[in-house]
Amino acid sequence: MAIVYEFVWQVLHVLLHIHRTLITWFRLRLRNWNGQLWSRALTALIVPIALSFPNQKNIVPAPGKRVGRRYRWGADGKSLEKLPDHIGLLIAEEEPRYTDIANLVVWCMAVGISYVSVYDNYGVFRRNNSRLMDEILKQQQELLDLEGSKQLSVEFLNNGTDKQDQQVLSCQSVLKVLSPEDGKLRIVQAAQQLCRAVEQREKTSKDINVTMLDSLLRESKSTPDPDLVLKFGPVESTLGFLPWHIRLTEFISLPSHVDVSYEDLFSALQRYASCEQRLGK
Amino acid sequence: MSWIREDESNLIEKLSANILKAGPMPKHVAFIMDGNRRYARKRQVERQEGHTQGFDKLAETLRWCLNLSIHEVTVYAFSIENFKRSKDEVDGLMELAKQKFIRLLEEQENLEKHGVCIRVLGDLTLLPLDLQQHIARAVVATRTHNKCFLNVCFAYTSRHEIANAVREMAWGVEQGLIKSSDVSEALLSRCLYSSNSPNPDLLIRTSGEVRLSDFLLWQTSHSCLVFQSVLWPEYSFWNLCDAILQYQLNHRPLQKARDQHREGQALQQHEADRACVADLLQHHGNGKPLDAQRRQEALLNYTASREERVQNFLGALQHKRDSFLTDLTSQAALA
Repeated sequence: MAIVYEFVWQVLHVLLHIHRTLITWFRLRLRNWNGQLWSRALTALIVPIALSFPNQKNIVPAPGKRVGRRYRWGADGKSLEKLPDHIGLLIAEEEPRYTDIANLVVWCMAVGISYVSVYDNYGVFRRNNSRLMDEILKQQQELLDLEGSKQLSVEFLNNGTDKQDQQVLSCQSVLKVLSPEDGKLRIVQAAQQLCRAVEQREKTSKDINVTMLDSLLRESKSTPDPDLVLKFGPVESTLGFLPWHIRLTEFISLPSHVDVSYEDLFSALQRYASCEQRLGK
Repeated sequence: MSWIREDESNLIEKLSANILKAGPMPKHVAFIMDGNRRYARKRQVERQEGHTQGFDKLAETLRWCLNLSIHEVTVYAFSIENFKRSKDEVDGLMELAKQKFIRLLEEQENLEKHGVCIRVLGDLTLLPLDLQQHIARAVVATRTHNKCFLNVCFAYTSRHEIANAVREMAWGVEQGLIKSSDVSEALLSRCLYSSNSPNPDLLIRTSGEVRLSDFLLWQTSHSCLVFQSVLWPEYSFWNLCDAILQYQLNHRPLQKARDQHREGQALQQHEADRACVADLLQHHGNGKPLDAQRRQEALLNYTASREERVQNFLGALQHKRDSFLTDLTSQAALA
């Protein structure tokens, strides 16, 4: 009997996998079809001489078009009922594509989100943060036509061991590159700090409360907790993302960050705008 | 209404349960039972009725979990944030809880038969004293049962739980039981209210909200999260099966992530021990560098003594918590 159940279970899971694959395939087909239509319209109506044959990625719109897009994205942000102050981009996929992530970061900034965090549970972004930064600066140029002086401010959420470059002049947004070390390990370090203070009789155990721990775990007083986390990938988990900070965070899942579009991001933001938080009441 | 329902599943449900059980099954499931008030509005009944039906659904869900061989369930019954609700509603919920815990004590035989162990996680001192006493009696009465476990989070938020764990470790330091260098991720986990349970494999939230609301934030960092739009009082066996299917689909990548995290943890502990030993040797040594074998011995000794310290501390902590409950029960007996 057990063999029968196991067989049925295998069949069920095969069907589920096929179902998932079909959905992904349909979505890609729809995107490409739309993309081809749109890029053809673009070449026909706006760009007098086609720069290259319709391939969504290779079209470089005229500078005026880029500025237009920047204003449109800004207006989109203002049109939403609420915009997150701090958005987390959780990449739960094996091979991160830096260009796509850079796009997401730039779009988030353009829409008006003040803090953007990027996270993966292998710590890849942390280790390759200069590559990520280069990609983001490149995409900023391409998508927003921002000159060098208006780059975003970059803070690396680390334990203060080594200071990273801070390219700030007029910072529009703050980018944080996070890894699992910023989660539980950070909480443990704060706990060690408090216990050391108790050991040295600077504090008593009764002094320790949520507020004290929170102030230790907050990078700076102005950094808000993430309001929204966009999770990219099929794994349904937070994978160690900032456990302390996500108590009221909304989680919206997107299938993949590969070839993600601005529309995907915006529809997630629209979904966020419509959710209601009662905060226990 | 009782805490445990008898098995009323039909043939199709039994078959489906058996099919699901052919794959990996979660051993510990956590529920955020959201949607009672919206259900009451939808059915146009009193809010209190919505909460009562929510409790009945809990009893039913426990039965389904037992049928699916899920032996540990944690539920989010009342958050510290919920104290912000109107006095009527809070009093109503406290009264409902009191009724249910009194009922639980009346059903002791049934609970013993099914081997149900009830634990209540949270800051009980925030609750009315009579409710505290009922809870203490229920927890103490079922303490030795070990076939299945129900953890009820009452007057709970995850941040309070974590801060409390840090406070307990600081207490351990104050008492001279442990050193601040003994503080680690593993030790913090053992100081949480949920220290006697493994981490949940699966977290289910009903009513369509997609947030954790300060529930088990530490424990669910590598759990499968399933958000379902059904309201809690309308939860069905098929909703539960759907959630378990999601768990099965995510099982392998989550296992991999968990293993990786555990390896990282072990490495960190090893590094921390090495650093402590190096420190000690520097202070107590006579300036001559030790050979590798001596260093290795020192490391092993240090690790063994650290583990002994930690065990003693955890024993003292458990004793403190047990005494708190037994004091409440003796107060109740005297009253």
